[in-house]
Amino acid sequence: MSLLQIDNLNVRFGDANAVPVVDGLDLAVDAGEILAIVGESGSGKSVTMMALMGLIDAPGRITADTLRFAGTDMLKLSARQRRKVVGKDIAMVFQDPMTALNPSFTVGYQIEEVLRQHLGLKGKAARQRALELLQKVEIPAAESRLDAYPHQLSGGMSQRVAIAMAIAGEPKLLIADEPTTALDVTIQAQIMELLVNLQKERNMALILITHDLAVVAETARRVCVMYAGQAVEVGQVPELFEVPAHPYSEALLAAIPEHSIGAERLATLPGIVPGRYDRPQGCLLSPRCPYVQEHCRRQRPALDPKAHSLARCFYPLNQEVA
Amino acid sequence: MTVVLSARELTRHYEVSRGLFKGHALVRALNGVTFELEAGKTLAVVGESGCGKSTLARALTLIEEPTSGSLQIAGLEVNGAGKQQRKQLRRDVQMVFQSPYASLNPRQKIGDQLAEPLLINTSLSKAERREKVQKMMEQVGLRPEHYQRYPHMFSGGQRQRIALARAMMLQPKVLVADEPTSALDVSIQAQVLNLFMDLQKEFNTAYVFISHNLAVVRHVADQVLVMYLGRPAEMGPKEDIYAKPLHPYTQALLSATPAVHPDPLKPKIRIVGELPNPLNPPEGCAFHKRCPYATERCGKEVPAFRQVGTRQVACHYAEQFL
Amino acid sequence: MTSPISKAGTAPGAVDHSSLYPSPYKEFWQAFSRNKGAVAGLAFMLLVVFCALFAPWVAPHNPSEQYRDFLLTPPVWLEGGTWQFVLGTDELGRDLLSRLIQGARLSLLIGLSSVVMSLIPGILLGLFAGFFPRLLGPSIMRLMDVMLALPSLLLAVAIVAILGPGLINTVIAIAIVSLPSYVRLTRAAVMGELNRDYVTAARLAGAGLPRLMFVTVLPNCMAPLIVQATLSFSSAILDAAALGFLGLGVQPPTPEWGTMLASARDYIERAWWVVSLPGLTILLSVLAINLMGDGLRDALDPKLKNAA
Repeated sequence: MSLLQIDNLNVRFGDANAVPVVDGLDLAVDAGEILAIVGESGSGKSVTMMALMGLIDAPGRITADTLRFAGTDMLKLSARQRRKVVGKDIAMVFQDPMTALNPSFTVGYQIEEVLRQHLGLKGKAARQRALELLQKVEIPAAESRLDAYPHQLSGGMSQRVAIAMAIAGEPKLLIADEPTTALDVTIQAQIMELLVNLQKERNMALILITHDLAVVAETARRVCVMYAGQAVEVGQVPELFEVPAHPYSEALLAAIPEHSIGAERLATLPGIVPGRYDRPQGCLLSPRCPYVQEHCRRQRPALDPKAHSLARCFYPLNQEVA
Repeated sequence: MTVVLSARELTRHYEVSRGLFKGHALVRALNGVTFELEAGKTLAVVGESGCGKSTLARALTLIEEPTSGSLQIAGLEVNGAGKQQRKQLRRDVQMVFQSPYASLNPRQKIGDQLAEPLLINTSLSKAERREKVQKMMEQVGLRPEHYQRYPHMFSGGQRQRIALARAMMLQPKVLVADEPTSALDVSIQAQVLNLFMDLQKEFNTAYVFISHNLAVVRHVADQVLVMYLGRPAEMGPKEDIYAKPLHPYTQALLSATPAVHPDPLKPKIRIVGELPNPLNPPEGCAFHKRCPYATERCGKEVPAFRQVGTRQVACHYAEQFL
Repeated sequence: MTSPISKAGTAPGAVDHSSLYPSPYKEFWQAFSRNKGAVAGLAFMLLVVFCALFAPWVAPHNPSEQYRDFLLTPPVWLEGGTWQFVLGTDELGRDLLSRLIQGARLSLLIGLSSVVMSLIPGILLGLFAGFFPRLLGPSIMRLMDVMLALPSLLLAVAIVAILGPGLINTVIAIAIVSLPSYVRLTRAAVMGELNRDYVTAARLAGAGLPRLMFVTVLPNCMAPLIVQATLSFSSAILDAAALGFLGLGVQPPTPEWGTMLASARDYIERAWWVVSLPGLTILLSVLAINLMGDGLRDALDPKLKNAA
């Protein structure tokens, strides 16, 4: 049984007729695996994780057939019970490390706070554990950094502290939401390496939310491509990158400059993601899809198994099995 | 080919107050940058935060006076130019900014924003201005009816088209683009990059393209200038730099950039540590504390930016990597 | 080179997203009307403005005419009230409703003129303070700090004491007192906007200082200023009432809400309506304007705009 099981998750802001931000999402994550969720801004990838953690407030509405984590039904939990799970068994690392830490407290205090809340550690024991955690995330001169305030740390260091806080509760699932987007290239590489090493060492599941396909290619085993609130393709990493079944995956890959080395122009996908005013009746990609057929404009495809992956397309690409 | 932009030993220092009794510290944000740029060519400036690329952009666009060094635009020296000359010089260098959300005036109609440079700098009639604006709007892929709209009605990609159109209204000789696609999604980035390339061909504009994304740079650049902590580290033709980087920092940058199809044979160089504090840069080579090949000499002697083969490198041991 | 310029952004058949947005005015009204209190405030103010504009036709009696037979007549719903004087009469037998309607003219005039008289110099000073942060800015701001250090009503009393009581001097006093808040607000907004890229872009386009100030930056600072203007409109009415109450504002027999309140205070035990009704009118007008101000703030909040 998978660690995290999501069936038919819908998130809307407003009444039941509002356009869903997440639209019928099915997702399963096994213990100890790295799943990447890729999509452009507005594709619903972050909102999905917020919904899972119960961080969506009114007027947001969540409905799902299943939202199960480690055997507990997350939909049935009270706010108090959920707080025991979220932050301990499910932890999160955010995009902007500078705003993820509270500027008024020292790094040590903030880590100890997590330890106190979720593990009941106090005093010396908490401080000792906080120090170990900082060393774990490879912060140099960790002892002196315990008493540092977040503004005294660089972006990379702050992100390491945020990671230390996230793993303080020994989580089974770590969600990293664009953890390296705000960082420089060389620091980015260091942080990704740290995350992957921690994941291996602790056998955590890691959900990596990103818009950067190259980061996915280098770290994840499985990937879910999202478009306008729907998962359009879910597959294994080398296959999905080499033989994508969904036209959107193909377009996303083709748009990366790396794919057009030497070419005059980059391949593009015309148009932009549908907004709240112009959600198509049929397949959500149909207004932009180069392979669109009449059928696509009228009906929405379901996420079905294809030759190499699951894809939400009537006319999938690359179907000849090698 | 005509050289339209030439910088010689361009330097910009800032005085930073360090508190009440400590006196001022000197930040060498830009330190001795020299290059020449021909019409219709692109110089890409690459580096991490704090490397001085934004200061370079501000100096090139005459927003800030350089502390020392000379800058020639279309053969005219900027230092000591009269008021009238300066106005002309300013016309010749335009800029596209990183955030398409901050670079357009939210309370001005698109048409008025595009017409503003013409209104200020030319004596065209209202109808002539309108005609020119409409023509430019068509060239960047906007519709005539967008003339009357406000910026918040557009998506990020469309706004960047508008910003680019505004910069091109006066047909400048040089266009400085400061991370123009880093706020955009991959598929939108490809559209905007294509537009940049098309306009360059059309108007034979020289581009200074500032970016931290080496994959993007590889697509757009002719020449690449790698900067580290305000100093040039390596400059040369794109093909040479990507095929065989000579400066250890360039090597590290290239190796740290994730790739969709990683080359398994390429060794991964991971550099340790973070950028040094610009208030207190290390003695000798600015990079030596993070450099895997650093010797005693690197800690003492600042390496000269010298010619090695087809390019210039600031490393004592550049020949060894050739 | 003849390669066609990319039309990728507007591929044929793609929906034009910008056309889907409502016009700015419609969008503003949608946001404003979502706030019920603001709409109620607006409705009440429209009524007051209507009364003020058409006072001679709306008012049932001449506000200065003294009906000697009807001194201190109670309002119609109390014992002894008559339909002739719906809200009763005052100590000189003048119709209260007519005086309140006539008073609306003066109160609105004071509010409007004092807001204009402080808004315009306030914006100018704030713009200069924001654009010249080295020398001019600090000196303007210190001056404003000094003005803020004095209690505002006391300052207004002092100004009126120097200039002498009367309508115009009241307006001047109120305008001077509310000046610092405009200057500070404008300067803060200007400093925020100056760091944004579109200002740099306008500079690169060759815009001179006046153009930068009034065409580029100022329109983007207007939202908080409009809200502040609404709110200080109500405080101007209050201040005018306070000055009138102290006998330093508009002089009797001109019907002004504050003056009416002051001249009737001796009768508070015998005829409460003479005092309470002007007070209630002031309260309701101020409340209505403040509610409107809240609605304006919500509707003009740039953060909500950027969400699109």
